[in-house]
Amino acid sequence: MKPGFFEADGRRMSRGAILLLMAPFFALIFFAFIYPLGSLLSLSVLEPSPTLGNYERVLENPLYATVLFRTLRIALLVSLLSLALSLPVAILMANSRGPKAVFLTACVLLPFWSSVLVRTAAWAILLQRNGLVNDFLQGIGITSEPLRLLYTQGAVVIAMTHVLMPFMVLPIYGALRNIPSDYNRASAICGAGPLRTFWEVTLPLAMPGIIGGFILVFLTALGYFITPSLLGSPQEMMIATLISQQMRENLDWPFAAALVGVLTLLVTIITIAFSKVFRFERMLGASA
Amino acid sequence: MSQAVSSNVKGASIEIKHLGKTFGNVKAVNDVSLTINAGEFVALLGPSGSGKSTVLMSIAGFERPSEGQILIGGQDCTRLPPNKRNIGMVFQHYTLFPHLSVGDNVAFPLKMRGVAKAERRRQAEAALEVVRLGGYGDRTPNQLSGGQQQRVALARAIVYNPQVLLMDEPLSALDKNLREEMQIEIKRLHAELGFTVVFVTHDQGEALTMADRIAILKAGRLQQVSQARELYERPSNLFAASFIGEMNMLPVRWDGVNAVFSDQDQIRLPDTASIQPVRPGSAILAIRPERLSIAAPGTEGSWKATVRDVVYAGAGSLLITHLADGSEVRLRVASAGQAPIRPGQEIGIKVPPEAALLYPADASQ
Ligand SMILES: Nc1ncnc2c1ncn2[C@@H]1O[C@H](COP(=O)(O)OP(=O)(O)OP(=O)(O)O)[C@@H](O)[C@H]1O
Ligand SMILES: [Mg+2]
Repeated sequence: MKPGFFEADGRRMSRGAILLLMAPFFALIFFAFIYPLGSLLSLSVLEPSPTLGNYERVLENPLYATVLFRTLRIALLVSLLSLALSLPVAILMANSRGPKAVFLTACVLLPFWSSVLVRTAAWAILLQRNGLVNDFLQGIGITSEPLRLLYTQGAVVIAMTHVLMPFMVLPIYGALRNIPSDYNRASAICGAGPLRTFWEVTLPLAMPGIIGGFILVFLTALGYFITPSLLGSPQEMMIATLISQQMRENLDWPFAAALVGVLTLLVTIITIAFSKVFRFERMLGASA
Repeated sequence: MSQAVSSNVKGASIEIKHLGKTFGNVKAVNDVSLTINAGEFVALLGPSGSGKSTVLMSIAGFERPSEGQILIGGQDCTRLPPNKRNIGMVFQHYTLFPHLSVGDNVAFPLKMRGVAKAERRRQAEAALEVVRLGGYGDRTPNQLSGGQQQRVALARAIVYNPQVLLMDEPLSALDKNLREEMQIEIKRLHAELGFTVVFVTHDQGEALTMADRIAILKAGRLQQVSQARELYERPSNLFAASFIGEMNMLPVRWDGVNAVFSDQDQIRLPDTASIQPVRPGSAILAIRPERLSIAAPGTEGSWKATVRDVVYAGAGSLLITHLADGSEVRLRVASAGQAPIRPGQEIGIKVPPEAALLYPADASQ
């Protein structure tokens, strides 16, 4: 039988149909990502003169390296914290049925209904000098005068974890949900108690979801802008804030572009390292 | 065979006492009592939804019984979690852990029991040899065929010498040849290792060939528990009679001595025809198609029948006929040496009285 344009013959559409359906996606990727990134990167090596001078500046001043390492550390902290908080939530979701499952899913997705700005502002209100958290700490007598909570790295880590947690919960939930319950039974009858089964069977089988969530949160956190710039201290800025400062306050676009170049390189290296270390494809293949 | 799985292991008895399990308002298992002897091979047979898996899962500890008690080796296990029961089990699907190699899969129960690494390697390899998969330890499960995977699952279930082996339709995903090969394999292991086997299937042929005794379930209730031969030759009720093999069922009136057909033909039955006493009145006469034979029409003591269809099936042929009152009677006769029979032809059917069974007609029995 001759396949039609959109009709699936077996499982394949015609090549033309596939290209047509993918075109908007590739157009978006090209015009909104590859083109601007490319022109920024060319700016970084061509302006003010065609040299690597901008990159030398990044390496020369230890301040920039400090910002980079701080950014990496905060992103790692945020990822680990959201992993620790998300795992129990995802497990609970995967083991719930009916109204309880709907309720839990709604709780996880609820933050998406408000903007990042609102969620960040909420933390600013909670953490300010006479905010709820300080009132509580004073109330139970842990401290006699208000602590400086806002404009600290702690505030940034907590708020970013809150904002990014759904991106950790959902992939892990998806992975857990796809594990047939027969594996748990097989493990139990082999003599493994619930904790042992979780450790030996559930966790390894959920690994693709865990790694996926981790990479998603880590990479997003690396380039995060709003939360660090609103809740962080100016003395301890992260790289996105630094880039924005260079662009808008110093109007030094070529140097900002060089910082973007360094960040992009870092993200690429980390992604490749992740997939090498965890043998991503093999795990996905094995759990299928 | 091998050292690790020594042949002096003996099975444990299983006593199921008044087991009941209710899901919502469905009574999945209803007052099932069954004693399985140490080393016995029992098949649970029944139509879909009859509660076979629920009984098995209760023995394994995955379902908590609503009522009743389960004793394994004399010890009350009703409330014991599955990981403490020391039972081997083979599931229908998804049995092997995909993230572990075949060898690690088989060694898994040993690891849970704290056996040292080198020792569990050795025992796992020995168990793989028992199921004729020696040297496959380094492969991953998805590199094996379906039959090989089930054999690995079997190796994993026996590697720690459990006294009881449970299987829930372990062969239903395999094709016919593999299934027969695995049936022989399981029987061999059972004979060699002597554990008690409870085997769920809805394939009656599988149950008849493999099991020492067969337990028939219907709608959560136990219908009959007996050896294959008795089950086939003297099924205890109409359900068991129709569930195992083919059976002609003819409505009759029973006067205590004779079974009378509606057209006044009658057959005198020996006392052994009724498994349980049947009160005079309407009853069902049951007879296996292969016990009937063809006679010339009008032969003394034969039934008069008209042939509706002849199905040739190699060695044997199936004759579908109907009696004067319209009820259908099937015959299985040898194809060879038979004069050709055509649809529409009148024949006589010879009925050996000792082959006939009598059951009460009401469906509640
Ligand atoms: N977890 C459950 N929740 C609700 N009802 C259940 C559950 N498990 C089984 N049942 C019901 O209990 C009855 C018996 O189920 P069971 O799985 O034991 O049947 P089975 O004999 O194994 O059938 P099959 O041959 O289809 O596997 C069925 O009516 C089924 O719908
Ligand atoms: Mg079942």
